[in-house]
Amino acid sequence: MEELELQEKKPNILLTLYQKSILIVVLLILWAVVPLYLHNIYVPPLGEVLQEFAKLASTGELFKHIGASLKIALIGLAISQALAIPLGVLIGWFKKIDTYLDPLLVVMRNTSILAILPLFVLFLGIGEVSKIAIIVWGCFFPTLINTIQGVKTVDQNLIRSAQSMGISTTGLFFKVVIPASSPYILAGFRLSASIALIVLVGAEMVGAFYGIGFMIFNAQHAYMIPRMYVGILTLAILGVLVNLLSTKLENSVLRWQETNTNAV
Amino acid sequence: MVDGSKILISTEDLGLVYKLGRGKGKSKNPKAATLTALRDVNIGIREGEFVSVVGPSGCGKSTLLYILAGLYRNTSGKAFIHGHEITGPSLDRGIIMQAYALFPWRTVEKNVEFGLEVKGLKKNERAEIAREFIELVGLSEFADRYPYELSGGMKQRIAIARALAYDPDVLLMDEPFAAVDEQTRTLLHDELLRIWDKTHKTIIFVTHSIDEAIFLSDRVLVMTSSPGTIRDEIEIELPRPRNNELKSSELFGTYRNKIWQHLQSSTDSTREVTTILGRHILDTVPQEAVI
Repeated sequence: MEELELQEKKPNILLTLYQKSILIVVLLILWAVVPLYLHNIYVPPLGEVLQEFAKLASTGELFKHIGASLKIALIGLAISQALAIPLGVLIGWFKKIDTYLDPLLVVMRNTSILAILPLFVLFLGIGEVSKIAIIVWGCFFPTLINTIQGVKTVDQNLIRSAQSMGISTTGLFFKVVIPASSPYILAGFRLSASIALIVLVGAEMVGAFYGIGFMIFNAQHAYMIPRMYVGILTLAILGVLVNLLSTKLENSVLRWQETNTNAV
Repeated sequence: MVDGSKILISTEDLGLVYKLGRGKGKSKNPKAATLTALRDVNIGIREGEFVSVVGPSGCGKSTLLYILAGLYRNTSGKAFIHGHEITGPSLDRGIIMQAYALFPWRTVEKNVEFGLEVKGLKKNERAEIAREFIELVGLSEFADRYPYELSGGMKQRIAIARALAYDPDVLLMDEPFAAVDEQTRTLLHDELLRIWDKTHKTIIFVTHSIDEAIFLSDRVLVMTSSPGTIRDEIEIELPRPRNNELKSSELFGTYRNKIWQHLQSSTDSTREVTTILGRHILDTVPQEAVI
């Protein structure tokens, strides 16, 4: 019997932590110190920004914005994935569908989302619906493309093996094709999740009364510079959190993979 | 070994002709438009028999196996199991491939349960049967592992357990041990014969190794290529249980020479250059390199 447990070298946690955080820490220190001597209204020191952050957090205003943004992002993301994954499986599996749809999809996904944003506003207004729609659009393609790729590259031996047991077509989809393409699908999802946040800010530029994007642009217009930075900082933190969560999800779903070393 | 017992699988003038080219109407060379992978294959496999099909790469031996599995369609003749024509795959035949084809997202136990799920068995029944067959191949302690954590030999034992679990009448094995090292292969041979002895399954075993075919089988079918057809069949009358010393016995050597000669005499005619087509048909490797 082979020895399966490979003795892995335990990495020094403190060292890794240091290596990973040092650059960010240095930048934050620079941000805290340099503006004190710059006296530029556009570059407030970190301390001032954090003060503003605390103020907005304590009044609950910040969370109202975060809540409004996340709600739209999540709904848009959910709808887009619910559309992209089944469609991707169909396109990946049936060559005919691929042949007919592929050119259209190439055109659609290569058209800048910012260019069609006004179109969505025109038809759907400046309310939540158009924002959700634009997020659906933005998050749809990465997952779709990945799912198609995943389904197309499923190991034929696995399909044959399942077919040799007389499995039904539905069974084949759910028991073989989708799990076999799950690494691709999840990579698409991770990409989509971060795109949701990016597109969201664009959508909130166009017209909104709440949301992080709105908060940033509103603050900029009103020259409330520290407030603007709070918005940007919040978005950055949200982005990191989203990436962290989707990577966690990916790792736990894909723990059957040998090389499961997705960087955070 | 079991003379006079019932025929389980048979074929009648079985043939498979591939159409080459992408069907664009005007082919410059009409002769190259088709390729005969199999022609006039007539075999009869008895219940409980261990039969090997040996032949060079590209001779169509795997194609034959896939037709019997119901995964490929023949273009002429017929194939039967239990006297009924084979029209598609079914749980009465279990296939074992060289590449293991274990589902990487399933643990060992869940892999073995796969066919039982297709069969519609309840969860606790599935688990019980799965454990029984994992034990049969001696890998109980790995039931909760994922395939990537297993060695090649272990993976193939799990693939065998998975096929046995849904209780097929015949195991169709497509060069199952070609990807493992020599020592492991020897162990797997003993293991397979032990399992065969215990389960009394009929086994059709495709290989390009003459020694492997002789060592395992009751009967060896020798296949030659272009077109793929059965050249001869040789009853192997080595005593069972078989052990490694048999391989150096005189009788073993006689069988080896006999098969070798059949394959040699057909070498010249098989060296034709052909377009790469499917996976199993047209590996145009010179025979000496393979046998």
